[in-house]
Amino acid sequence: MTGSVSPVGQDIPRLEAREKITGRAQYSDDISLPGMLHGAVQQSPYAHAKIISCDVSAALALPGVVAVFTGDDIGYHYIGPFVKDETAIAKGKVRYIGEPVAAVAAVDQPTARRAVALIDIEYEELPAVLSIDEAIADGAPLVHDNFAELVRVFEADHGPNVMSIMQVEDGEIESAWADCDVIVEGEFETQAQCHAYLEPCSAIADIDANGKVTVWSGNQSVFHLQANIAQSLDMPMSKVRCVTPRVGGAFGGKMEQTIQPIVVALTRKAKRPVKLTLSREQDFEMIRSRHPAQVWMKTGAAKDGTLIARQVRILLDSGAYADDSPGVNGICALFCRGPYHIENVSVDARAVYTNKLRAGAFRGFGGPQVAIAGETQIDEIAGKLGLDPIEIRLKNAVRADEEWLGGLKLSQSAMSECLIRVRDDCDWDRRRANAGEENADGKKRSIGIACLPHISGLLTSGAIIRILEDGTAVLNTGAVDNGQGSDTVLVQMCAASLGLEIDQISLATPDTDSSPYNWGTTASRVTYMTGRAVVKAANSAIDQMKQRAAMMMECAAEDLEMRPGGYIGIKGVPDAQVSYRDISGFSHWVAGGPVIGSDSFAYDGENFDPKRGFIKGFPFGKIGAWVFAAQAVEIEIDEATGKITPLEVWSAHDIGKAINPSSVAGQVEGGVVQGIGYALYEEMVWDTGRLANPSLMDYKIPGTLESPPKINTILIEEPDETGPFGAKGIGEPPIVGIAPAIANALAHASGIRLRRLPMAPESVLRALREKTDVG
Amino acid sequence: MKLYHPSTVEEAVSLLAEDEDARCLAGGATLVAMMNADLIAPSALISLDAIESLKGISTDLDGGAVVGAMTRHASIAEATGLDGGQNIVARAARVIGHPAIRNMGTIGGSIAHADFAADYPAALVAADAVIQVIGPAGRREIRARDFFVDYMETALGPGEMVGSVRLPAGPAYAVSAYEKYARVDGDFATVSVAIVLSEPGSQCNHARLSVGACAPVPLWSEEADAILADNNLNDDAITAACDILIAAADPVDDFRGSGDYRLALIPVLVRRAIASARTGEGGKA
Amino acid sequence: MSEKIPISLSVNGQTHQAFVRAEDTLLQVLREEFWLTGTKRGCNQGVCGACTVMVDGKIVRGCLTLAANCGGREIGTIEGLETDGALSPVQQAFLDSGAAQCGFCTPGMIMAATALATANEPLSDNQIREGLSGNLCRCSGYIKIIDAVRAVRGGSVPRGSSVPSGGGGA
Repeated sequence: MTGSVSPVGQDIPRLEAREKITGRAQYSDDISLPGMLHGAVQQSPYAHAKIISCDVSAALALPGVVAVFTGDDIGYHYIGPFVKDETAIAKGKVRYIGEPVAAVAAVDQPTARRAVALIDIEYEELPAVLSIDEAIADGAPLVHDNFAELVRVFEADHGPNVMSIMQVEDGEIESAWADCDVIVEGEFETQAQCHAYLEPCSAIADIDANGKVTVWSGNQSVFHLQANIAQSLDMPMSKVRCVTPRVGGAFGGKMEQTIQPIVVALTRKAKRPVKLTLSREQDFEMIRSRHPAQVWMKTGAAKDGTLIARQVRILLDSGAYADDSPGVNGICALFCRGPYHIENVSVDARAVYTNKLRAGAFRGFGGPQVAIAGETQIDEIAGKLGLDPIEIRLKNAVRADEEWLGGLKLSQSAMSECLIRVRDDCDWDRRRANAGEENADGKKRSIGIACLPHISGLLTSGAIIRILEDGTAVLNTGAVDNGQGSDTVLVQMCAASLGLEIDQISLATPDTDSSPYNWGTTASRVTYMTGRAVVKAANSAIDQMKQRAAMMMECAAEDLEMRPGGYIGIKGVPDAQVSYRDISGFSHWVAGGPVIGSDSFAYDGENFDPKRGFIKGFPFGKIGAWVFAAQAVEIEIDEATGKITPLEVWSAHDIGKAINPSSVAGQVEGGVVQGIGYALYEEMVWDTGRLANPSLMDYKIPGTLESPPKINTILIEEPDETGPFGAKGIGEPPIVGIAPAIANALAHASGIRLRRLPMAPESVLRALREKTDVG
Repeated sequence: MKLYHPSTVEEAVSLLAEDEDARCLAGGATLVAMMNADLIAPSALISLDAIESLKGISTDLDGGAVVGAMTRHASIAEATGLDGGQNIVARAARVIGHPAIRNMGTIGGSIAHADFAADYPAALVAADAVIQVIGPAGRREIRARDFFVDYMETALGPGEMVGSVRLPAGPAYAVSAYEKYARVDGDFATVSVAIVLSEPGSQCNHARLSVGACAPVPLWSEEADAILADNNLNDDAITAACDILIAAADPVDDFRGSGDYRLALIPVLVRRAIASARTGEGGKA
Repeated sequence: MSEKIPISLSVNGQTHQAFVRAEDTLLQVLREEFWLTGTKRGCNQGVCGACTVMVDGKIVRGCLTLAANCGGREIGTIEGLETDGALSPVQQAFLDSGAAQCGFCTPGMIMAATALATANEPLSDNQIREGLSGNLCRCSGYIKIIDAVRAVRGGSVPRGSSVPSGGGGA
């Protein structure tokens, strides 16, 4: 190849950066259509109630109202990625306060809001279960009394209000405890976190003369959405087209449907375009959260620090609908061992229905809930044995030649390298030794560490690359960019594969009518999974161009090579080449046909192997490429108020290859700060079934002054042989280790151990005053 | 809903008198937020924006600073010419919300709304400010300590509005501090402490302390102030003064902190306020 | 609901006319009457900062400002920052620093940063952070946003974002 620099590995600015910084980027609520109506939603005032009747007459009588939609308009057409338990709008029953029960489309927003309040719904209140404990108590009211009849797409045990049970057994847990010199045990509790993407959910739909509906909305998968809409409204998928404008953040919260089925139903009834945009409060109350969890964990080790046994029981508060809960539950069970070799592991994880907002996918997908427990116990064991926290982690760090739970073979692991780089870059020994000294303000500094495993992968992706007549190309993957930068990364990989410049690639908008399937922007998978499809589609396009070039140059295709700048040439003969432009012209007008490279595949890595490890109830057969990380956080503790201030973070990631290092750093920095929110500030609080803080005034996310001035992104680039250009994903890992690293720093300097998140100042102060348990 | 733009205070007061469901619109930072949330739907808004006499800070013959009701937090935060005691109000203004909110919100709007966790109430009590009120019966003055009556309730009568806030000249050599503790920057206070001190020749002759966000109204105690001054702000005196205010407190449990936590913060913040007043830092502000 | 009243607003140097309700916010009117959708609604309560616009050169919350109260004032939005197609220095710095991720907070953030950038003196990192403290971002961790403002108006202080260090691992 000649001298041009591959765009892979370069800090290419976001393709859409200019439209975002000039205000031209169009998000769902920025779109308006001629004749468009405005939607409004009525929400359930009860946590659990039978819907006796819906009287919509007063709403329909209001001038300006065009359509009304309630459960009466649909059959019991259930949707759900794992358990089909949810309808497009509440039907028959409501199961959480805030659940949408009725919707209106009217000529303007004030009319729609007035009209929706006029819909008279008669309820018969039912006893509700508002916590995990209430839900699993004997004789508890059932959130879904028809659970046995619901379709489940995976096999798992279940019980009253327990939608899925995941079990893992490795080694012999009962006998292993006798081999342990030190055992720690504790109960941990984590809170519901709100995704708090800056763009509240919004959708706009239009309908054509044949009844086909087009929906523009923020989402993480147009295909998933298309299926959910069609299924919930009993429509053929061919009558639903989903398109994605810019998305104002998602973080898992837009992985499944949000309000799109309601908007589509209104549009079909009104036969006019309808737009519905939630208020921030409605978005808090109606969409989804991170699962609150109760985790009991026991870990044992030998005197030398070798981890021997870990037993875990996990209960996830999944809210009223299953959504992604069985998946999250499975990941909790699979990741709670941490990135360590532990011979004997036993896990029981249960996803529990309650009469609260559904919990679903959220960056980390169960990882944060178990990391706080696991990484706390590693530090506690280190403390009891007088070992340095990094030393004990290095001693047990999982290696490439080992197996994961469920008999999964790891092909690689840079866990130790991540730890070593963090240790060196943060000057761990010095900072750790100096921790606890009070400064002039009476505040203490400290530093703590945590490690984590994650995966990048799952399910299916595709890509289509068409060479245009002038030799440039259009790339279509159907993958939605939620702001993380995947559009740019995919184009970088496409350009590098074809030997073209970035601006010679046009990227198609995700559109179910024209894009190849992509399961979703989730599971840290777009770079890895869709990237693989892009590379293979590009290779297919190149192969086709070689065939055409062979005809043009009258040689064998095997003798040809791709050359940067858009040429196919004869190997060893620098002057013998034809341009993509000429090849494409030939293809279009002479012979061969337009060059269209495509690929689609399902994740093809290791299967769980029941012969090697017992695993039951996990809803996926294989998961993805492993990614590991180590994160250190330096904090300042004000022991008079209990306030913890993060000062600096070091985050080392086993990323394979950074396709766009600046975007990778952006993901790490954002994940770290979201992790700080989870660790210190954020908690959705319910008061007798009602979300008590559904606003950014009451629910606080970190701002500039709550975020650390310095975040050091450390990338360990050991190429993954299965990844495109060696790359793996980075979306989720950066959030996972932050809370435990802060908890470990706090324990080190202040001698208190918090086992409940968030570590709000008040909890810290109370613990300092009690100091019952020295970490 | 109607929107009026009176150009004089008299016009505003007469519009207010005509319609008991009308509200004065000052900066809008709170009122419009409440309207957006469908919490209130006034029949009319009387925008005070065009009334020039309500804007700005002037000095009166007694050295008092008169702050017009429509003076924005940002202007108060940047005000020059306030003396060491009056400056407590500028310190409070600097930690209200964020820059855009300080460009919008006004002192009159804030105190008329009387959020118990807002920043001005304790500062105005510590400054011994006087609220100058205009109404159908003319003008009257209310001491800040008497102005705040309950949660979101003031001594303003029907048809009355805040005209200005007079900050009397502080004692000679006065220094002040406003120590605010909030969950995150820009939030309402979990607890705030305002203090104005004077210690000429290291002898304290004036201490006026007020605690915000720990009761429906700012806490203050002449007894506590006397103990602080008489004992030269020694540690026992601070403890005793805090105990008096803690006993008078009636804190709520809310997302910004439990009542117990608020009480625990009072002595911490009082000590920090005194220390930072003495160093001239004046609190986090 | 109120009757609509005619208003005339000067936005980005151009006069716009509309019929609005007294309770309509500037945010609503910019977006729905003038089709200036760059200004975003993130919370409608004045907390998130996505609706930050300039009124008479100072940043305010579009969602807490009544449009009918803005007669005679000069309103500035994200759409007015470019000059003859050239990005403003703050916009250029956001582009160069990779400061826009999902982009939803970006217009408000750039307006707040633009107000900060009018300072004559170089700004310390802390001043930048305080100046942007009323604008929430959920994607970036703020590092590259602060880098961008520092590039326009900062002193010579180190970047908060380390250049990601690669280098083949072990």
